[in-house]
Amino acid sequence: MTCDELRQDYTSYALGIAEDPERAEIAEHLARKCPECVSGIASAMATVTAMSGAVPVTEPPGRLRRRVMAIVETTPRRSWAVVFVPWAITAAMSIALVTIGISGRRQIGDTAKLQQALSILNEPATRDVTFGETERPSSLTMRGRVFVSPGKGVVFIGASLPRIDPGRTFELWVIPAKGNPIPAGLFRSQPDATAVFVRPGPVENAAAVAVTVEPEGGSAQPTTTPFIVTKL
Amino acid sequence: MTIPGIFLALQMSAEHDENIAQRLQRRDPEAMGDLYDRFGRVAYSVIVAIVRDPAVAEDLVQETFLRVWNRVHAFEAGRGALGPWLLAIARNRAIDHLRSLSARMDRNSYELDLREHPSLFVDMEREVLNTDHARLIQKAIAKLSANQQKVIELAYYEGLSQTEMAERMGEPLGTVKTWVRTALKHLREELGQAVAA
Repeated sequence: MTCDELRQDYTSYALGIAEDPERAEIAEHLARKCPECVSGIASAMATVTAMSGAVPVTEPPGRLRRRVMAIVETTPRRSWAVVFVPWAITAAMSIALVTIGISGRRQIGDTAKLQQALSILNEPATRDVTFGETERPSSLTMRGRVFVSPGKGVVFIGASLPRIDPGRTFELWVIPAKGNPIPAGLFRSQPDATAVFVRPGPVENAAAVAVTVEPEGGSAQPTTTPFIVTKL
Repeated sequence: MTIPGIFLALQMSAEHDENIAQRLQRRDPEAMGDLYDRFGRVAYSVIVAIVRDPAVAEDLVQETFLRVWNRVHAFEAGRGALGPWLLAIARNRAIDHLRSLSARMDRNSYELDLREHPSLFVDMEREVLNTDHARLIQKAIAKLSANQQKVIELAYYEGLSQTEMAERMGEPLGTVKTWVRTALKHLREELGQAVAA
């Protein structure tokens, strides 16, 4: 279809309500960076953004800022709240952590992260898979466990992870049944090569999770071969 | 769509947003706090209005900011509109959540990536996130017919396809398509006139 034929559906597309064949056609035009459609959809995005101005104001809870900041806090903090770790986290998480020999409290020292991990582990729909050598682990064999909740997020636990150069980072990917890998967060290992990473939020049609080494700041798509791929 | 004021707290400053974006790109954790202070309430308001579940909304706000953090390297700090980009991500997360609950109109992640790619938010008008614009969109919506208002609400708050709207409303698909196109054209024109004025 031509850009002229698609123009009247730009705003529907920006709202996410366009239907085939127009939806697929516009997506195809955007994928090949068609200047007219990129410009038209950008203009439509402005309309959709303006529509947000009609939404009622709702004050978020104060803890939400702390949860958002937990995304970027890389230095574990000690807090009195950590002492009162919910029993469920010690019951479920510690099994996985002890199995592969990681100090969970040291790595997930932040209360918000603990709560996120607990939320994921307590979800009935959560699936978990192991990777690497978990039967007879040694300090040299990479191993770990991944918990994936479709509604709540991913908890990644790894040991004996590869050493990476300064300026590089690990990036977790959720691989859907169809489509490209979805970035699911950046993390670093501890000096003892272990890592616990919590990525909250729904996981879209995950068929597998993977980890790659990426430039600091992460990548939109993997630029190296995954060194961990676990099918769910 | 009746209560005004979601943008009242936003003091527009393109320079401030550029600074936040640049610091996010440098992986400055404090920039995330500034980003939240500026857009957290708006993002939460949009998401909670769509999912109507405060606990889920918190998760989705966190996911929204995580997504910004992970993708900000592709954002043009000097020309991109940070707030609109973040709000698009926020609304997409909320609508995607609703769709996952009802297993309807599955959209792949690739298309979501296309719809919220930072390139679509380059050189966007600053006015789009100001209070006058919010009032204008409310007035424009108020001028729509009842059926047009209904389809706009179903589109914005539920992300229903036009086929789904037709089923929900018990109306022919062609009629619903006409309402949607006419309503959106009206909104675009009202906003376009304001920007040009």
